[in-house]
Amino acid sequence: MAESYSEGRTGDGEYQEQFLNDKTLRRLGAAIAGLFTLGVGGFIAAIIFTQVDFGLLVEIIHPQFVNAFLRVLGIVLVGSLLSVTAGVFVGLGRVSNTKFTNTVATAYVEFFRGTPLLFQLLVIYVGIPAFWPPGQFPISNWAIPTAIIGLTLNHAAYVGEAVRGGIDAVPEGQMEAARSLGMSYVQGMREVVLPQAWRNALAAIGNDQVILVKDTSLLTVIAIPELISAFRNVNSTTFDPWTPILLVAIAYLMITIPLGKIVSYLEARSDWGGDRR
Amino acid sequence: MERRTFLKGSAGAAAAFTLAGCLGGGGGSGSETITIGSDIPYRPFEYETTEGELVGFDVDIAEAVFGELDYEHEFQKTSFDSIIPSLNNGNFRVIMSAMTITEDRAEQIDFSDPYFTAYQTVIVLNSSDISSKEDLRGVTVGVQKGTTGESAATSLKEEFDGDLTIQSYDQVTGAFDALRNNQVSAVVNDNTVNAAFVDQSEDVRFLEGPGAAEEQGKENAPPYLTLTVEEYGIGFRQDDDDLREEVNGALQTIRDNGTYDEIYSEYFSG
Repeated sequence: MAESYSEGRTGDGEYQEQFLNDKTLRRLGAAIAGLFTLGVGGFIAAIIFTQVDFGLLVEIIHPQFVNAFLRVLGIVLVGSLLSVTAGVFVGLGRVSNTKFTNTVATAYVEFFRGTPLLFQLLVIYVGIPAFWPPGQFPISNWAIPTAIIGLTLNHAAYVGEAVRGGIDAVPEGQMEAARSLGMSYVQGMREVVLPQAWRNALAAIGNDQVILVKDTSLLTVIAIPELISAFRNVNSTTFDPWTPILLVAIAYLMITIPLGKIVSYLEARSDWGGDRR
Repeated sequence: MERRTFLKGSAGAAAAFTLAGCLGGGGGSGSETITIGSDIPYRPFEYETTEGELVGFDVDIAEAVFGELDYEHEFQKTSFDSIIPSLNNGNFRVIMSAMTITEDRAEQIDFSDPYFTAYQTVIVLNSSDISSKEDLRGVTVGVQKGTTGESAATSLKEEFDGDLTIQSYDQVTGAFDALRNNQVSAVVNDNTVNAAFVDQSEDVRFLEGPGAAEEQGKENAPPYLTLTVEEYGIGFRQDDDDLREEVNGALQTIRDNGTYDEIYSEYFSG
């Protein structure tokens, strides 16, 4: 393919005659996209018209799914806020020139990125209360704190790596210039490097926050009545798979799509000359 | 040499799995391997010892029944809340997973004759101040998702006009952990499974009081509070009547020849 392409470049007329030229490629792409749309559209139509029981759908939306949705949304909001905040500090630790701080931050990232979130949740949920004698653990609704702590610790590691990448992408001359103007390291970081690093890291952080939303599905194993758990309840009592599946899909997309929009907005705002927007 | 044996072994295992998959999917008949779907672990019906050996009441009954019928059999792990669709999708041939016969379930699958009677019971920590069914009002109880323990807890919640919180765990061990970790005040589950947990751990006890077993005049009713009475059956696809008849026959045979009682007393005292 590559060969014929480079040959084709020598003369315009000759190139047009070949099977794979710009025009046919465009048409081919559109045809594949069309077929895909047709397939997916047909599949979704088949689900909606043959599989979904609308009576049941209305019945289970409230309170089961609404409550699960609000619970997930709450956990996502708190977890996002904490993990991004903590992640900035992890990122700063990762670029620290102090050997000790750097090592600790690296070890933190290696551990929380290197073990599954499900494992971390189980450690917190089952492991921590085991330090108390049976029945003595003081926090009686430990599942929600577990969710927040687990998601924060796990995603702070990913956000930390995104921030480190963002800082590394800022030319070293920026910090040197700041220092030579008499700024301290902290001032240089805060006023010069971090604002630029933030822009570099935004896409990766946004990506990670979308994953955080989807990671809440793991909370079903620590008995938090979230969306997957709502699906399983309905499915195991009615044996109807598609009605709850449809609701679960809508519920997750209702969080992840607006989240994507927020990230794009922030990216646009922090882009060069973004102040004018 | 060792390596070769290992390779042979794993090739054999892979072939066995493939074969089992085909047979399970086809739902054919004849002398073959019966794949049994089961949510493992669920003490003392099916669980693995620390050496990784699969044991339990269901496991031994399966051994006796399918041994009687001259079938090979093997267990396949599956999750309880999707066990009926999995059976109907052909992932395995029968269900043996301490499954209670209910009308809802009987609409989806067929059951063998009952091979076990169970009671829904409540356990609490020794240190707990819950001493009667009425004390459960307003507390949080742990159950396993999709089980009849969950249904019993749901009916109890209705009885208390909604004044009961239910936490549903993937596995019953999760509910037991939650009890010890002060996340729930009580666990609602089958008497035998609860009894195994009570026997094994010093800090939990059964909640006592008269219950459903007395109301229904059941003999050999357990001496503690029973919320409901249930009978366990082996689950079959609805087009699998021949195998179901054979298994019913074999269940009768092992009851008659004493094998059943032997297995029963091995796992349950009294």
